Amino acid sequence: MAFLGATLNTVGLIFLTHAVYSTHEHTATFPHAPLPLDITIELLVSILVLSAGIVLTSPSLKPIEWARWSGKLQREGRHGEGKWTREGEEILSEGDPYAFLGLDGGIGGKGEGRMGFWDVRGKRKEYAEWARSGGKN
Amino acid sequence: MSHANLLAPPSSIPPPTALSLSQKAPLILSSSPTSSLPWPLSLLFSRESPESWTIHENLLLSSLRTGDDKAARQILDRLTTRFGAANERVVALRGIYEEALATTPAELEKVFQGYEKILREDPTNLAVRKRRVAVLKSLGRPADAITALTVLLEHSPTDLEAWAELGELYAAQGLWSQAIFCLEEVLLVLPNAWSAHAQLATLYYLSTPSSLSTLSLSLRYFCRSIELNDSYLRGYYGLKLASQKLIPLLSDSTSVKRNNNPEEEEAGPPPKLATVKKLEELATSKLAEIVRQYGAGNKGWAGLDEAEVIAARALLDRDGKMER
Repeated sequence: MAFLGATLNTVGLIFLTHAVYSTHEHTATFPHAPLPLDITIELLVSILVLSAGIVLTSPSLKPIEWARWSGKLQREGRHGEGKWTREGEEILSEGDPYAFLGLDGGIGGKGEGRMGFWDVRGKRKEYAEWARSGGKN
Repeated sequence: MSHANLLAPPSSIPPPTALSLSQKAPLILSSSPTSSLPWPLSLLFSRESPESWTIHENLLLSSLRTGDDKAARQILDRLTTRFGAANERVVALRGIYEEALATTPAELEKVFQGYEKILREDPTNLAVRKRRVAVLKSLGRPADAITALTVLLEHSPTDLEAWAELGELYAAQGLWSQAIFCLEEVLLVLPNAWSAHAQLATLYYLSTPSSLSTLSLSLRYFCRSIELNDSYLRGYYGLKLASQKLIPLLSDSTSVKRNNNPEEEEAGPPPKLATVKKLEELATSKLAEIVRQYGAGNKGWAGLDEAEVIAARALLDRDGKMER
């Protein structure tokens, strides 16, 4: 789909440029004659092709309803969209906007959403125990 | 699904993920994001982006977790040269570094005194105030942590992270009504937060003594959380549990009789038995769908937490056995 869209965009742009250039040349040579039909048709077709290409290459729409949108986030999780930072980390799609409340783990859960209160010593101990037990699972 | 990404680490990091996160340290430390050229040129040829500093911060935290203190020190120095030693965030990160390196309670007490000193100079430093609460918690003094948090919230009543933390601390002490109050404060600012609704419902569900009014409030908040998020496993799970507890209470006609308890008044009339039964069926069918789709490896459902799905399957299995 992306390839088709890009092709349509390229073709449309070439035709549009050609049509505009032809119009310019025509009016420069015959200032008072009406525009020939083929230039008009080329202009209209190029705009149609370009519009189709732009629609095809646009990103998919988000659900409008809140529950559907949040449900989609929940189901699909965060996934990469083919963009990376300079450090080699993939830029992920939108995630839970309320993760900073840290309420996902429930009461007494292991969630680390509230970074301001991050328990560095507890986590360090947990890791050390895991490493000592042979680093399984 | 625990993919190690420093830009957006998962909300709970198990040790293997932490290890693979901190193993990225040599690569990121090998090249500096800031330019060494003099001022006007450094603006033009800088390689830094907002993301690079998020990555540095997350890398600092994960290398502290895995005990890679040398790398942590290097990252901290980098952040200090970039943002200055007085930056609120850098001060808090330095505090985390010192906390991690403290081996005895006496050393941790020293870090705590350091926080007190910073707060005497600048009482508005919220990041350090939060670190102070975290140290108190780590020292095993939850009562002091709660007092410190209430002081913080008196001065900054819209700090939702702190309200959520206070709710958690109260819940850990078994002070259910205080915890419920904290979560209600969160909902005042973020009425669309499905996780806050589910947390509040869980608190009502757990609160003792459990009565018809607390359970029906719990049912209502679970309903709200799935109204806000149509694939919220925790919401359906809780809805099923709460309605299973409510059905026998409602069928028993003596307990439904209205009394003039003010708490009951606040909760409104109890839900109808038929409605609760329908809600239970809805929760069961939705949980079954989630378990099925996740089990089939459907790509559109891969973002769910595996442990949660396993728990939902166990609940459904238990339920099936009871009916047979």
